[in-house]
Amino acid sequence: MGVMKRKTLLTTMSLTLALSLTLAGCSSSNNGNSNASPVASSNAAGSTNTSQKQEQITISAFIGAPNQAPTADNRIYKKIQDELGVKLNMEFLVGDLQQKLGVMIAGGEYPDLITADTKLVAAKAVIPLEDLIEQHAPNLKAHYAAVWNKMKDSSDGHIYWLPNYGVQQGEVHSNNYSGPAFWIQKDILKEAGYPTPKTLDEYLTLIRNYAAKHPTTSDGQPTIGFTTLAFDWRTFGLLNAPEHLTGHPNDGGVVVDDGVASVFADKDIAKRYYKELNGLYNEGLMDKEAFVQNYDQYLAKISTGRVLGMFDQHWNFQAGEDTLVSQNKIGQTYVGFPLVYDTSIKDYYWDRALPNLNNGFGISKDAKDPVAIIKFLDALMSEEWQKTLSWGEEGVDYMVGDDGKFYRTEEQRKQQQDPTWKLANRADAFYGASPKMEGSYSDGNATDAGSQPQEFYDSLKPEDKELLDAYKFKTWTDFFSSPPENRVDYPAWQVDLIDGSDASVANKKMTDSSLKFLPKAIMAKPEKFDAVWQEYVNDYKKINVKAYEDRINEQLQWRIQNWTSK
Amino acid sequence: MRTKQLRAEPVVFHTFNAVVMILLAVVTLYPFLNTLAVSFNAGNDTIRGGIYLWPRVWTNQNYTAVFAGGAIYHAFWISVARTVIATVLSLFLTSMLAYTVSRKEYVFRKPITVIIVLTMYFNAGLIPSYFLIKDLHLLNSFYVYIIPGLISAFNMIVIRTYIQTLPEGLIESAKIDGAGDFRTFISIILPLCQPVLATVALFVAVGQWNSWFDTFLYASSKQDLSTLQYEMMKLLSSSMFSNSNAAVSNSGSAMNAVQNMVTPVSIRAAITIVSALPILVVYPFMQKYFVHGMQLGSVKE
Amino acid sequence: MASTPEMITSKPSAKAGTKSSVFKRMRGQKQLMLMSLPILIYVVIFSYYPIWGWTMAFQNFSPAKQFSEQQWVGFKQFKFLFSDEIFLQVLRNTIGMSLINMVLGFVTAIVFAVLLNEIKNKLYKRTIQTISYLPHFLSWIIVTGIVANTLSVDGGIVNDVLMKLGFINEPVMWLSKPHYFWGIVAGSHIWKEVGWNAIIYLAAITSIDPSLYEAAEIDGANRYKKMMHITLPGIKSIVIILLIMNLGWILEAGFEVQYLLGNGVVVDWSQTIDIFVLKYGLQVGNYSLATAAGIFKTAVSITLIFAANKIAQRFGEDKLI
Repeated sequence: MGVMKRKTLLTTMSLTLALSLTLAGCSSSNNGNSNASPVASSNAAGSTNTSQKQEQITISAFIGAPNQAPTADNRIYKKIQDELGVKLNMEFLVGDLQQKLGVMIAGGEYPDLITADTKLVAAKAVIPLEDLIEQHAPNLKAHYAAVWNKMKDSSDGHIYWLPNYGVQQGEVHSNNYSGPAFWIQKDILKEAGYPTPKTLDEYLTLIRNYAAKHPTTSDGQPTIGFTTLAFDWRTFGLLNAPEHLTGHPNDGGVVVDDGVASVFADKDIAKRYYKELNGLYNEGLMDKEAFVQNYDQYLAKISTGRVLGMFDQHWNFQAGEDTLVSQNKIGQTYVGFPLVYDTSIKDYYWDRALPNLNNGFGISKDAKDPVAIIKFLDALMSEEWQKTLSWGEEGVDYMVGDDGKFYRTEEQRKQQQDPTWKLANRADAFYGASPKMEGSYSDGNATDAGSQPQEFYDSLKPEDKELLDAYKFKTWTDFFSSPPENRVDYPAWQVDLIDGSDASVANKKMTDSSLKFLPKAIMAKPEKFDAVWQEYVNDYKKINVKAYEDRINEQLQWRIQNWTSK
Repeated sequence: MRTKQLRAEPVVFHTFNAVVMILLAVVTLYPFLNTLAVSFNAGNDTIRGGIYLWPRVWTNQNYTAVFAGGAIYHAFWISVARTVIATVLSLFLTSMLAYTVSRKEYVFRKPITVIIVLTMYFNAGLIPSYFLIKDLHLLNSFYVYIIPGLISAFNMIVIRTYIQTLPEGLIESAKIDGAGDFRTFISIILPLCQPVLATVALFVAVGQWNSWFDTFLYASSKQDLSTLQYEMMKLLSSSMFSNSNAAVSNSGSAMNAVQNMVTPVSIRAAITIVSALPILVVYPFMQKYFVHGMQLGSVKE
Repeated sequence: MASTPEMITSKPSAKAGTKSSVFKRMRGQKQLMLMSLPILIYVVIFSYYPIWGWTMAFQNFSPAKQFSEQQWVGFKQFKFLFSDEIFLQVLRNTIGMSLINMVLGFVTAIVFAVLLNEIKNKLYKRTIQTISYLPHFLSWIIVTGIVANTLSVDGGIVNDVLMKLGFINEPVMWLSKPHYFWGIVAGSHIWKEVGWNAIIYLAAITSIDPSLYEAAEIDGANRYKKMMHITLPGIKSIVIILLIMNLGWILEAGFEVQYLLGNGVVVDWSQTIDIFVLKYGLQVGNYSLATAAGIFKTAVSITLIFAANKIAQRFGEDKLI
């Protein structure tokens, strides 16, 4: 099940390309992280100056994500070389990460900076960083202060990796919502007078009514009431809804109650949801092709505007929605709602940012001068360099308004979208993997253009403004309850199940079983549903679910003991 | 054609045959034309589906993106070099080996055949192979493209089978004239084997051209050795990666993605066309060696 | 060749030879040995030497450890493989799909090659031949994408045509019917590879002596008879050799097509051994399981090709080995 859901993005071999993805914990909190202190800029300037006197060094880096090599005369890398005296020699992932690391470990030779993976710790390929950071890297130390304990390896207590996302500071602007929700087309809301569905029933009623009135779209294609995707590793659309409907946050394949994690996929809380879908299916509202469609077909369907609603994470179907926008079908783009079974349940879809543990860079044992490397990373952690890496160069890539706010001209926005231009003018490949500030700088500007409130507002279409005004909301996150502080052991999906262990085998088997029986149950005649469900439950009984739950609970307990701030 | 053959039977047959062939051509041409159409269609429009034989929103951005990096020009020549060198060497060595095991009197004929054939049915695995390449100092060397795969058991068997259909008398008479096995191989067997050698050359060349995994494993840290296919794999991976990631990291600016004309699907199409075209021209060129019964007639006993 | 050339062997058969006569023959075969033994050594180094890696199948292999530090687990990996209740199912699917692909693949490629050979117009022939092998250069992800769209319930051409012809009343969800899955996979394979697979037969046809056709014509043989009695026997030896070779690959049904076209609804009929190994082996970094599966496949392959070779020998056909 999707406990390792986001991690899966990193480790799963997508067959087509063995593509791996990392996801930033991007759903961010309003208040930000009170513990994280903004980095003093004087400090940053100082380190820049000293490093200018350093000799030129070359740092080799293996980046565990695919990317194109920047052009030889890339403006930002050149600036780094001129001012910090560091030439970066980067290799990017092509093919499968696990395979690449396996061979690298077997060969026993590593680049200076290497992408995070627990395998490398086991192979003693990377060195502990905590002393290096304490002694040489004040910026990094300040940046990671709030998550310091979490960064420690669960097996030996050392810090090996510098998480590349999810450590926030200052005011955090959350304008867009990219996480899980039940999505519904804006036209449906408009026609119904902008209601706020709170429960699954209310949501489905909206869809039923609209579908009855509009059997086809305005251009004549039949509408599809509800669809879901379960293709390749993108299975969360089908599997994760029940935990949210019961008010649980995204723990992947388990729900955590009173500190104990348990699998829910075969339990009654899940049955209730799938029974609803079975009803929809038999009414002809559920997409008949839902369980056979591939990702491209899913996106195609969404981009025709025929799909009234679905449960998904926003980033997963964003490409389809973008196509709707480009056809100016704003009414058929989506708003997300945090549905629950009963109004007595409080929704917990939106969660706070999480440090992207076991991601980012580590320093390998082969690095000749770890101190120089950590100093280099520390220098990049200064606000000045962070702005250069994220926004670019002032006057060239962005402008500063009279109020001190950064903005981009239309032309500057355009060039930021040009992949060829970016290869010569941005250092995205390195920036993506290195430690970074998220939230806002000490001068109040957002750390990336997309989060700058004005930039967001400018991107809204008139229809969007009308809708937000009708709800008296400012941003898309206002539809969700503000996330509470994370449990100290949250989230369970980040638990490392350990390759090849009983827990990880059980995890695979559970996913297989769900993907096999859930479609069967949903597509069954209503009177057959219970029988198929029973088959499903029986199949689950054959799996060593306990091994899986035990591993997760053991790790959650460990976190509670080690991560609770003293 | 002699006039007496102009009966109804050939007409019916030819009509039937033509219909079958044209149907097949249509069916097999379609996926390629479809890919071509997608490669010239705007990526954000392709997502809607429904592109068949003609682009709906013309763009050359997919190709611009493919050629943007500039690394592919050098990589193209590396690909050509490895393909040509490996094909020539492999063809020569494989057919030489095939000749020896086609000689019924050869003492080691059977053991050699068994040893070679069995290599088709096992695979030692990635890591031991990596160690071997490392120990032979082939890592990050151009030779790693040539040396490891010179002998293909499959190709050897195909050539051997062909040689065995040649009239034995030819070889015997060469021997009687005093030619050794090597000279017989060079001057009798090789020329007679043209059709099968053309076939095997095609197999080897296509295999060489399309391979990227050896670059990935053995030469990935040396840009000078990158091949066209490897550059294409890089591009495809990064487009899939950045596309899925864009939604997250640029969450604010929906406008960004909207104008994004290049999507994984569209770039995959352009990559397929760019990397397949050079090798596609090889086959029509080889077809001239497929001349029915060439030379055989003239040298029959 | 239709008329098997007479063997003019001046030397006694190998079996009759004593030790000394073997050495005597070797002396006369210096050139043959020089031409083959160095290549043999090369093959042993590149293909056989790395087999030490098979020891992984008996370990909990971890790339981080030295050989001496690996944990030995005996037959644990094999037990995991064989004791899983779905192993028999994936074995059945693998063999089933493999056999269908093999039989249909052979038949279509041979028929195509023979029919193409009947075309006399050179340009027409070359054009058809070139077009037919184009799909070989498309990746499976592109081809399966097209297959999925073709079979789709909304707007898929297969359903549209069948509806118009009145064979079906409502669109069929082809990809969610378990009993169609093997057929769809086979169809996709043939579509992609028929032209490519035919190349080898087209080359073999060129080795047929043209005078045989001339002689048959004089005897008044029609086109059908010439195909049956000259063309097909002319390529018989390569067909048999390829069949034996392919039989050895019966457990190699692949994984890409099945993975990309498969879904939860048809999983009982779509999973192959390779997908199983990928899920429980490679995806979770368990190289040992993948190695164990590889050894199992090798054992099956070698048994099959030796058996097939024996059978071919008994029927007096060409042998692989």
